[in-house]
Parts: sequence; structure tokens; C-alpha cells
Amino acid sequence: MTAASVNDPPRAKESPVPQPERDRRPWVIRRNSAPHLGLLAAGLIVVALAIAWGAGLGQFNQGQLSRVMIYAIAIVGLNVATGYTGLVSVGHSAFFGLGAYTTGVLVVRYGWQAEYTIPVALVLCFLVGLIVGLPAIRIRGLYLAMVTLAFGIAFPEVVARFENLTGGAQGLTIRLRLLRPPDWSGFALSQRGQWLYWMCVVLLLVIMLVVHNIVRSRYGLALVATRDNEIAASASGVNIALVKMMAFGVSGAITGVGGCLFAIYLGSLVAHDSFTLLNAVALLIGLVIGGQATRFGPIIGALAVVYIPYYTSDIGQGQAAAVLFGVVLIAIVFVAPEGVVGGFFRLLRKFLVVVPSTPPPVPPAEKGRSRVQP
Amino acid sequence: MGIFLDRLFAGTTAGSLYVLIALALVVVFRSSSTINFAQGEFALFTSYLAWWCTTKGVPLLVAMAVAMVVGFGMGVLTERLLIRPVRRRSETAVLIVGLGMFTALNGADGWIWGPDDKIFPHLLPNGVDDYLEIGGGRLHYDSIGVVLLMVAVVAAMTLLFNRTPLGLQMRAVATNPESAALSGVRVGRVLSLSWGISSALGAFAGVLAVPALPPNQLNLASFFPILIFAAAAALLGGLDSVKGAVIGGLSVGLGLSMINGYATFLGGSLQLTLAFVIIVLVLVVRPTGIFGARRIERV
Repeated sequence: MTAASVNDPPRAKESPVPQPERDRRPWVIRRNSAPHLGLLAAGLIVVALAIAWGAGLGQFNQGQLSRVMIYAIAIVGLNVATGYTGLVSVGHSAFFGLGAYTTGVLVVRYGWQAEYTIPVALVLCFLVGLIVGLPAIRIRGLYLAMVTLAFGIAFPEVVARFENLTGGAQGLTIRLRLLRPPDWSGFALSQRGQWLYWMCVVLLLVIMLVVHNIVRSRYGLALVATRDNEIAASASGVNIALVKMMAFGVSGAITGVGGCLFAIYLGSLVAHDSFTLLNAVALLIGLVIGGQATRFGPIIGALAVVYIPYYTSDIGQGQAAAVLFGVVLIAIVFVAPEGVVGGFFRLLRKFLVVVPSTPPPVPPAEKGRSRVQP
Repeated sequence: MGIFLDRLFAGTTAGSLYVLIALALVVVFRSSSTINFAQGEFALFTSYLAWWCTTKGVPLLVAMAVAMVVGFGMGVLTERLLIRPVRRRSETAVLIVGLGMFTALNGADGWIWGPDDKIFPHLLPNGVDDYLEIGGGRLHYDSIGVVLLMVAVVAAMTLLFNRTPLGLQMRAVATNPESAALSGVRVGRVLSLSWGISSALGAFAGVLAVPALPPNQLNLASFFPILIFAAAAALLGGLDSVKGAVIGGLSVGLGLSMINGYATFLGGSLQLTLAFVIIVLVLVVRPTGIFGARRIERV
């Protein structure tokens, strides 16, 4: 709401101007100027309001929102490899599952506090990501997708193999009392949902900020350069092998954190249900729908991935969502390859352009924080 | 000895089925340099269709023919309507369209026929007594049938590629689409046809594979493992080689059967993981596979 009203002035300002060429000219604002800061502040207010609104929701709806944020974290992770570096992964469900099982196993078998397993999963998924990224040094495109596909399909089998740790095909149930929020958090066991919600909010914001900074750094430029033209990037001194492996590692680590939260959210893990190939495709679909290589695409994608199956679960024996996702995926490739968020920003740039106040070029995506978040 | 022969026969049967799906992947790759990620789901759809026909009292052979015709149509339409428009744009676009088909087909099967397991009829005799006793091992008739059919299909595909005008055109398109077009080959039609042939082949293989490979029933996940084994086979042999698909398919089938039987510390349950390892090793060590000719672009 706030964002829309802030967004209105440019159009209101332009419409009375009669000449057609003046009409097409967007509203140009300088970075860090008063209107720009105003837009950013409005965006922050909208985000804060949305978070506060979510905190006041009932248990079920709040759980759904937590789920959205969990998927958003997983998709942000996928975005690092697939969106920014161009390494299409069809196996990220395995990282998601690895994170979830790290939490599950440490909590159930070793009595850890669930929250403290997150750093462990982060490191573990990072290392596995490096290994899965290893073939990326020599191969790419379809071949790499094939490797990740096999990784994703093989994961449930590996889980079933280590039955005494993971519970095998029966799955792993984390008893409710093991998921008690830590004492310092001030939440009781009955406020588990609230605690998870705030944990998701904080982790999602932190991870988005980290990815935002990575992407704007030298390292992020190397990622994008590798995606756009490997040979040129290599000639400019980018260490392609290192960049690809690191991208996979970071990507896997972030998705793994999503998996940890998923384990805490769900409380029971069954690899053959939750971490299958269709789950990996769902993450990829979320990314493509939201927009690859966009900062806010993962949130839109996660909303789609969580709510579309929810609202279509009565249709077509629960399979309508899969059909719809498939059709939408193909349609997006044809109609809007940059996804919902990418398309939105392209449209927005017709009305509003942010230019740097000082010479160094900065991507204009910064200003968009306001309008995507709710 | 008997157990070894049992494993040999089982591995050969499974391998022959992997050969057929690997061939389907190869036919598409030869002409359009693309891996059809939805290959398994095409076969899943046609297998469901064949199953549905048999429940309506249609003989299985006729049902298989129907499945193959529908598969052919699906292949042609997919290539013409979905793949060709985005081919020039990027490999990622083709990949995402393939995954879209994958998801949509899987969902559509569940939508139309329900997610529960279906008992699939056997095309070949598979009674308890239908076997030959060889050195203590049991060679089932349906295993013999599957291998013979595989040999026949491979022979037919070899003849098609090497002895017919269409095969010549296909090879021309695979080698150099521009030159082929300049020589009067209708490249688009050849591409559509090869996708059609590939999907019909997949439909044929699906009807044979569903009752022969565990879990011997038809469900929505039936073709995930088959696709991975076949992809491992095709990559091992070389994605553009018919000979490679045969050697790769049989090696994967036999290798997995033997490893499962003898490497007991793996618990006999890590087949897909082994296929994953094969895929990674082949791509890292020798990306063209054993017989592949096409050089994969490297940095």
C-alpha cells in the first residue's frame, strides 16, 4: 500500500505533459537523494509491517508463512548456483534433505538443541556442494543438469541405506519436546510456531543480505561473468573452476539451512516423500517463476510453491499443482524468461530509474526492495 | 555357479531394457544435441495409456501399438511446438522446457489414473515354470524375449541409420544442420521425426520394462530410476553412438547386478548411487563416453 502511493507521483507528474516523447521518459532519481531514501524507507516499513502482520496470525497461517520463508531460503540458495552462475541444478532437494537430516539426526540421536545444528548443516552442505560442484569444472549445461538430477534421485536411497541413523523408509520423527525453543529465546514449548517464525524471518533476512552483498562484490561479478561467457571470464582472470565449485558450495549450504528449518517445522522426515526429484523440480520452478538472478524472485517463487499446491489440492487427485507448475514453467520460458520479479522490474524501469550519485555504477535493483516484499 | 548365472541373466535382462531407453536418448541427442529430460515421463505416460487400454479389454500387443503411436505423436509435437522455438536461445531454456514436460506429464498421469500402484500385464510368458535350467541357473523365457527384442530393435535402428535415405538425412543433420539444409534436407522434419522415433522407442521399452524391473508395478515414480540408469548407460557408451548405447546399457545392467550380488557391504540398496557415480566418473574422466565421437565443448 505504502509503496504504491509512493510509486504514484512519477506517473501523476508525467501524465499532464502533452508531448509523446516526454511521456515515455521515466522519472529519474539519484541514489541516496531524498526521494530514493524515501522509497527505501517506505519499502522497509512495508517489510516491517508484513513481518508484524505475520507474527500476529493464527497457528496454521503462520506455519504456512514459515514454510514460505523456508522455501524462500532454499530457493535463494539455488539462485546462487542456477540464477547467478548459470549452473542448472535439478538436485537441490538433496541439499535440502541433507540439511533436514543433519538437524533430525543430531536432535534425535545425539540430543542436540535443534537451533545449534544449523551451523553444522551449513558446513556439511557446503562441503557436499563442493564435491557435487566438482564435475562442473569440466562439464556444463545439460551434462551438469544430468549429474545433479542423478544426485537428487540417489539421495533418498542413501538415506534409506543408513537406516540406523536416519530411520530409513519409516522416516525419522522428532518428538515435540525435543523441539523446545532454547531458554534464552523466552518462548515456551507451546509457542514453538512463533519461535520458528521469528527464526525464519531473521535467517531469511540475513541470508538475503549476505547473497545481496556477495552478488555485488567482486566475487558476484565473477559468478555472472562465468555464466555469461566462460571463456571471456577466464581470459579476464576469473578462476572458473574455483568460482563454480564455490558457487555450488555456497548454494548447497544456504539450501541446507532451509532444510534445517524444514526439519524443525515438520518434525518428521521421510526422504521418499519430502526430498524427491519432484521436490527439486519444485525449487527450480519457484526460482524460474520468481525470476532467476533476481534478489526477490525466490520469495515470489516460494509463495507460488507453497500456496499453489495448497489451493489446488482438491483438484485432480492432488496432482493439479504438478500439471500447473509444468505448464507455467514452459509458459514462462516462452513469455517471460526473466520471471515475475524480472518482468516487474523491467516494467518499473519505464517509470523509474535510479542513477548513481557518484561515478561508480550500481545496479538499480536496490530500490525495488519495497514493492516486492509483501 | 547357479547364483552367478541367475545374476548374469537378471543383469542382461535389465541391461537390455536400459539399452532401449538409452537408445531413445541417443536418437534425440544425435539429431538435436539435446538430452530429453522428459524421456522417462514420456514412457511413463504411454505405459499408463497401455495399461488403461488393457483394463478396457484391449490385447496388450494392440495396447502397445497404441502407446507407440501416441508416443510418436507426443515426440513430434513436443519437438515442433516446444523445443524448436527455444532451441536457438539457450541450452537452459531447452532444459527448463524438458523439466516442465517432466512435471506436467507426471502430474497428468496421476491426475488421470491416480497415484496408486497399478499391476501391469506381462507381454512375455513369465509363469513360475517358464524357464530353462542352465548350469543351475534359471533363464526365464521373458528374459530371452527381452534380449531378443532388444537385439531386433538395435538391428532395426542400425539399418535405419545406415541403410535408409531417412537415416542418411538424420546423420547429415546431426553432423552439420546448415550443410544438410543447403543440400535439400528438410532439417525441421528430420528433427521432429527423430523425436517421434525416440518417443515411440521409449513407449515400446516402457511396456517391456515396467513388469520386468522392480518394483514390477506401474506408479508415478517408475521411470525416475530407469531414466537415471539409461542416462548412465548412454553417457558411458557415448551419447551419439548406437553401439555405445548397447555396450553401455549392458555394462550398467550387468555391473549393477553383480555389484549388488557380491558387494554385500553396500547392502544391495545403493543402485542409483552407483549410477550417479558412473555418470560423474564418465563425465569427469571421459566426457565423450567410450564410443562417442562428438567433442564436448570445454573451457
